[in-house]
Amino acid sequence: METPWFAERPVGEVRPGDHGWLAYSGSEERDQVIGTFVREGLRTTEKVVYVTDAPAHRLPGVGPRHGIDVDAYSRAGQLRVISRRDACLDRRGGFEPAMMLDTLGREVDKAFDEGFRAVRLTTDYSWLLKPPGPPDLARMLGCEHRVGDAVSPSTMAMAICQIDRHALRPDELAALRDTHEVLVEVNPEYDDGILKIVRTFEPDGLRLEGELDAARHSVFAEQLAQVSTDRRRVHLDLSRLGFIDLGGLHLMARHATGLPAGEPLVLDHLAPDVENVIEMVGWHRLPGLVRGGRRTSPDPEGIT
Amino acid sequence: MAMEHKAFLYRDIDDFLSVTVPYLKDGLANDQSVIAVVPEPRLTALRDVFAGPGQPIAFVDSAEFYRHPVRTLRDYQHVVKQSAPRRVCALAEPVWQGWDERQTLEWIRYESLINVVFASSGARALCPYDTGTLPPRVVAEAKRTHPLLLSSEHEGLNHEYVDPVTVGTACDRGPRTGRPRDAEYLPVAGADLHVLRAFVGERAARHGLPKRPAQNLVTAANEVAANALQHGTPPAGLWIWRDGDDVVCEIGDNGFWRPPPNPLTGFIPPETALQRGFGLWTVRLLVDLVEIQAGWDGTFVRLSVSRSASEPAGA
Repeated sequence: METPWFAERPVGEVRPGDHGWLAYSGSEERDQVIGTFVREGLRTTEKVVYVTDAPAHRLPGVGPRHGIDVDAYSRAGQLRVISRRDACLDRRGGFEPAMMLDTLGREVDKAFDEGFRAVRLTTDYSWLLKPPGPPDLARMLGCEHRVGDAVSPSTMAMAICQIDRHALRPDELAALRDTHEVLVEVNPEYDDGILKIVRTFEPDGLRLEGELDAARHSVFAEQLAQVSTDRRRVHLDLSRLGFIDLGGLHLMARHATGLPAGEPLVLDHLAPDVENVIEMVGWHRLPGLVRGGRRTSPDPEGIT
Repeated sequence: MAMEHKAFLYRDIDDFLSVTVPYLKDGLANDQSVIAVVPEPRLTALRDVFAGPGQPIAFVDSAEFYRHPVRTLRDYQHVVKQSAPRRVCALAEPVWQGWDERQTLEWIRYESLINVVFASSGARALCPYDTGTLPPRVVAEAKRTHPLLLSSEHEGLNHEYVDPVTVGTACDRGPRTGRPRDAEYLPVAGADLHVLRAFVGERAARHGLPKRPAQNLVTAANEVAANALQHGTPPAGLWIWRDGDDVVCEIGDNGFWRPPPNPLTGFIPPETALQRGFGLWTVRLLVDLVEIQAGWDGTFVRLSVSRSASEPAGA
């Protein structure tokens, strides 16, 4: 497999020039990523431009719960919500890529004139791909290439294109993804340079990266407990875990035995060094842990 | 159900077949799960006797099965579990050639540990010893490690049998060599063992350990060091050096191991990772040899890995 040419980036590290892609599995994932994108922009006095038909106070990441006063930011011109009709629909209500590009260009220029140092643009394209009409993928691809061309050289614009991953076939999704340079995901729950813990949504669970050892057992246990609420089956993506200590295996097994009867903790995509230790002791000595998916090469966002 | 662990001292291949063939047939007749782990050329001789479509005996070459005593115990335990509720009838001839003094001791300990690990398994094991070629000392030890004995002069209870703790104690009694002057040292302090892993991994590679055994040594050293930090008394430290074909890593602290380890500590396979002893048992699986010295001057755990042994991973 070719090395992916795009960058993977937590939403907190998206920066000007990034034409980002978020294929979300559900509203929980979308709200976490886009909510962070919106909120961090507003808090750092960057401009946020959201193309949507939803009212401002229904946007992800805003509202009193997050300490964001939508009306104040709207009045100050820092938050701008543009309806689809105004942003990118022609007179017959059809999607018009050229109009979308004009809108983006105009908003970036305006933000510059207003003195903002950066502008964050985002919209959810899923509605374009859902019935009644057939998904006009070619039109979207063309649009996205041009958006990329517009954003990438910019020193102040950054964009995240949202797509409901279930709105397209996997090959279509991959084609659309490939028009973006940056794959955006949630901010890690924990990252100390040795161990990184990232929430995953489809399947629900955590991705562990780096090394899990005694100094990091408690933070891992805490994250594991948090994600294990709501009676959902939890998967751990271990494709990037290079080391696990024996206490870490003990911890996972202990957690799994506390799950509702018969509900396992699924270990996906075991990296070779971790798999070796598990096979050395034998899966049957790790009650409640089961082997899940196997993947040998990295597959960003698990599209294929 | 109690196990039946019998040493069989034989003179030649005819003697060997005259006992092992009826033994295996008896296992089949009693609907037991029959496995024959035997070295060549006796393996082929037995296969020829039982050749035929659908014969139910599992034949395994001892050269494959007897490479690492702790792993072999694990593998036999797997056989017993897989066979349940049927009893296991095993013909089990270990390999005694090609080991150094210390490895030979570990295989003697292994034969003795069988009596503990499978005590209530109901398994039957017949362990052939070739009196024509084996060193007299190996044959003498076989009599200390098998409660039952079959030889040209004797059949039945073996009065020379010694309990496993006594056998293990004798195995651990050997002189302990000191650390060489050129051993590299790393203090073990603080809770974060990331630096220790990088240190061990880098030195293991530099001393010529292949990637997998090097990674296993890192996991083992990390576990022992984590224990020293959690249960030991500072200061703790790690030394690593090369001894001939072995890479040796020793972790020590100033504490006393309580309760004190005995010759069985960490040898008995735990049922699950949730049981006490899972860590030390896994450490014993990961490296070739673990030596524990818990004395007045502190606790020292020495891990050795051979640079040449190529061990297939997992069960």
